Amino acid sequence: MDLDDALKTYIIESRELLEQMEDALLRIEQAQDDPEIINAIFRAAHTIKGSAGLFGLEYIVAFTHVAESVLDKVRSNELRIDPELVALLLESRDHIGTLVEHAAQGDEPDADSDRQGAGLIARLNTYLGNPTGETTAQGGMPVEHAPQIEREETHSVATDNWHISLRFGNDTLRNGMDPLSFVRYLNTFGRIIQIVTVVEAVPPLSQLDAESCHLGFEISFQTEADKATIEGAFEFVRDDCLVYIMPPHSKVAEYLDLIRDLPEEEMKLGEMLVKCGTLTRDELAKALQKQVEEQRPIGEVLLEDKIVRPEVVAAALDRQKQVKDSKSTESSLIRVDAEKLDQLINLIGELTIASAGTALVAQRAGISELQEAASTLSRLVEEVRDSALTLRMVQIGATFNRFQRVVRDVSKELGKDIELVISGAETELDKTVVEKIGDPLTHLVRNSMDHGIESAEVRIANGKPARGTLRLNAYHDSGSIVIEVGDDGGGLKKDKILQKAIERGLVAPDANLSDKEIFNLIFEAGFSTADTVSNLSGRGVGMDVVRRNINALRGSIDIESVQGQGTTMRIRLPLTLAIIDGFLVGVGSSSFVIPLDMVVECIELSDEDRRAGEERNYLSLRGQVLPYMRLRDTFDIRGDTVRRENVVVVQYGNARAGLVVDALQGEFQTVIKPMGRIFSHVNGIGGSTILGSGEVALILDVPRLVQLVSTQAEKSGLELA
Amino acid sequence: MGALVKTDGLVAQVQAAEIQQYLTFTLGSEMFAVGTLSVKEIIEYGQLTEVPMMPDFIRGVINLRGAVVPVIDLSARFGRNATEITRRTCIVIIEVPSGEEKQDIGVVVDAVSEVLEIPASEIEPAPAFGAKIRTDFIHGMGKVNGKFVILLDVGKVLSVEEISTLASVSGQGASAQ
Amino acid sequence: MAQQETSKIATAQFAIEGEMTIYRAAELKQVILPHIDHANVIEIDLSKVSEIDSSGLQLLIAAKLEASIRDKQLHFVGHSKPVLELLDLCDLGGFFGDQVVIFPHGTH
Repeated sequence: MDLDDALKTYIIESRELLEQMEDALLRIEQAQDDPEIINAIFRAAHTIKGSAGLFGLEYIVAFTHVAESVLDKVRSNELRIDPELVALLLESRDHIGTLVEHAAQGDEPDADSDRQGAGLIARLNTYLGNPTGETTAQGGMPVEHAPQIEREETHSVATDNWHISLRFGNDTLRNGMDPLSFVRYLNTFGRIIQIVTVVEAVPPLSQLDAESCHLGFEISFQTEADKATIEGAFEFVRDDCLVYIMPPHSKVAEYLDLIRDLPEEEMKLGEMLVKCGTLTRDELAKALQKQVEEQRPIGEVLLEDKIVRPEVVAAALDRQKQVKDSKSTESSLIRVDAEKLDQLINLIGELTIASAGTALVAQRAGISELQEAASTLSRLVEEVRDSALTLRMVQIGATFNRFQRVVRDVSKELGKDIELVISGAETELDKTVVEKIGDPLTHLVRNSMDHGIESAEVRIANGKPARGTLRLNAYHDSGSIVIEVGDDGGGLKKDKILQKAIERGLVAPDANLSDKEIFNLIFEAGFSTADTVSNLSGRGVGMDVVRRNINALRGSIDIESVQGQGTTMRIRLPLTLAIIDGFLVGVGSSSFVIPLDMVVECIELSDEDRRAGEERNYLSLRGQVLPYMRLRDTFDIRGDTVRRENVVVVQYGNARAGLVVDALQGEFQTVIKPMGRIFSHVNGIGGSTILGSGEVALILDVPRLVQLVSTQAEKSGLELA
Repeated sequence: MGALVKTDGLVAQVQAAEIQQYLTFTLGSEMFAVGTLSVKEIIEYGQLTEVPMMPDFIRGVINLRGAVVPVIDLSARFGRNATEITRRTCIVIIEVPSGEEKQDIGVVVDAVSEVLEIPASEIEPAPAFGAKIRTDFIHGMGKVNGKFVILLDVGKVLSVEEISTLASVSGQGASAQ
Repeated sequence: MAQQETSKIATAQFAIEGEMTIYRAAELKQVILPHIDHANVIEIDLSKVSEIDSSGLQLLIAAKLEASIRDKQLHFVGHSKPVLELLDLCDLGGFFGDQVVIFPHGTH
């Protein structure tokens, strides 16, 4: 788990929760005793506290805990809401907000906020009947299944340590959590005395779904912290994981309950507890004796049988080890302001240009030592540039993987069997873009599952596999990242869309629209084609919001749909920064960059084709018809023509086209620069880059150009092979 | 592309709203001025990349320390002939608000003259008619040594909104053949 | 990237390089499994594993299990520092029963 990301998410979520809390607090005075509102407030505080524990933000945990305790009393009707309490809670909310901002800044609260916090705690404590300022140990965080913790000297176990049993849910990894990070986190406020990794549930490799989690841990843990703090560590995973926390000196009987509740075979588990030092062998024997007395279905023979098996657990039995310093295992991450990175990257851009300039001068001077020094310099600068650029790029995979859960849950909800297929997960894009693309993607995914993929019966009737497929794909494309959400569903129904659009007055009844224009109608505000309104989508809000969100990122979305076969929504987003391999070409005095991965080959334009080109706009490439355009004409570039022109054959999707240029200037790696709003609609230009000479070169929008060439070819009635 | 004038210092000096500082420059035979608050820097003309299919007044783009900045030919923007490039031709980099953000735009001018302080009392409103350029481009007429200087309304002259609309109309032209 | 270095009929030796994390878990499963299918003695070099998380650990466990069920020998060798740290954290050194070079303090 990327802790940096997780923390950022925590802070963003906390801010949202605090807003909800404020909203609810403001409403509660009007709606006295509405349990929903009280619950909302409590949940917000509870979640903020729980997650804070995970990040070791003790100052948030400590303060929020007190506020939460008061809220818990309100929730259980022990306290009545009055204006005074609301005011105090609002102040407390603001204080939590201040603390969260400290966490966001990565610093500790200053003396001022400490004072303020102490004052608030004192006032909150008066509501808890606890005016001394001592906080109550029992917060509002009951762990389900937690055994009773009353102590009874006679039957308590000897150890001074806590015992923690963890069984992580299958989706833990898919939800972006790493079980081991929770274990590591324990080391931040205590000492793991002994740990047993429970591997019994891990299947052999051939049966393993590598993204499912089957791990568990038995941990003997020494800490000064209270139960709420330990529970807080597992806040993020409590919903789908088994978490049992046994305080020191719990009763033997409670361990027996634990042994019964956990999924492993009883004897094996007992052994693990012994190995953890949580139970002595005597205690275990006593527990099992008790179990026999209670006539639990487990026999002596079986027990013996289990004991002698050379198990996983036994293998590590005698290994007594020092619990290592937790610091060495924590990965060292630092958070950096994105603006600083931008600044750095801009400077490096300048450095690149300066270095290219130096190389040029060195070459002219003809001093070989100088040239050598300059080339070393450029190599280093290039390396610096490359690594600087990667700083802000993140893979989209993590975002995609979050949809495993969404697809699973929504499939269940809809009663459909849908598989998610992810590709292009390694495609990198700017972090800022990643953060903003989640919502639109979620909507598109849900929309495809809800409206796109048919029910199993319909699918089977249409000769399709019962199981639907949803595809998430990403790739780089001339200065853009393209993200596709595709389904193999029924496709968009043109007639239905058009009919609805006419009903809603979105288009004139006699309008003559292309397929694409019809598809795009679904992005209009207030448009919905669902026959029945489900609770997922189909309320007519959403698709227009999706388009608005994507436009706000200076991106675009378009739809490809074949009736009966499926729909693909294609989002194109600019990369504010990215490196692509470019191919530099010259036309007149201008230079253009073609993304290298779209270049198929380069050929010389023969005199014959050139002459023929005045009549027609295609040439014959090894017997195949290749439509082409002369960039000089398309872009209306003046200046002397050259004797020999070249054709760069480019490909986008299935379509090929030739671009006629003057000169081929070779490959190079290039940094994509945004062109700004003014040029956002220029046909055929996708972005720009800065050449070694410091000059700006324009990046061709190959998909657009290919489309233009094909349209022209179609218009002139050319049959494309 | 060395910076001839760095205006950061100037910006700091402007405090009173009464007396604003203006950067004056010539375009043809006329004198124009823009408030120094919006001027970021002035650079020599050079290394400009043309963007195809743009209206005449969009000269192209330049590399300004790693950022790609559009360059507008003011003379052409006023509906006159394009500026002829000479040794004195400069690009004035102006910061224009564009929605929530700010956009840097370069404008080509024949020559940069000086920075003047013009008190508000010496500024008259734009004439209702008779001006040689669109009146909404004119912020006011400043009197300097008995002569009038046209103070430009940068937000209007360099309206990102308007320029991008004009650019998009022109930029769709690739399909027309 | 994982690549095969030597391949005899009965022995497979190969290395896993880069990160063994959830992002590559499915891919790595497909890398490891064929080796267990085709060889009787499998030796996996972990010296170039740069990062390992719970999913990576699970893969190691599952591979070992798979081999033991099918009566084949599977060893991990050359554990990199991240792997060692993980085994230490989970106290799983014994489970794999492989020779583990303990890093002296202060080196990496």
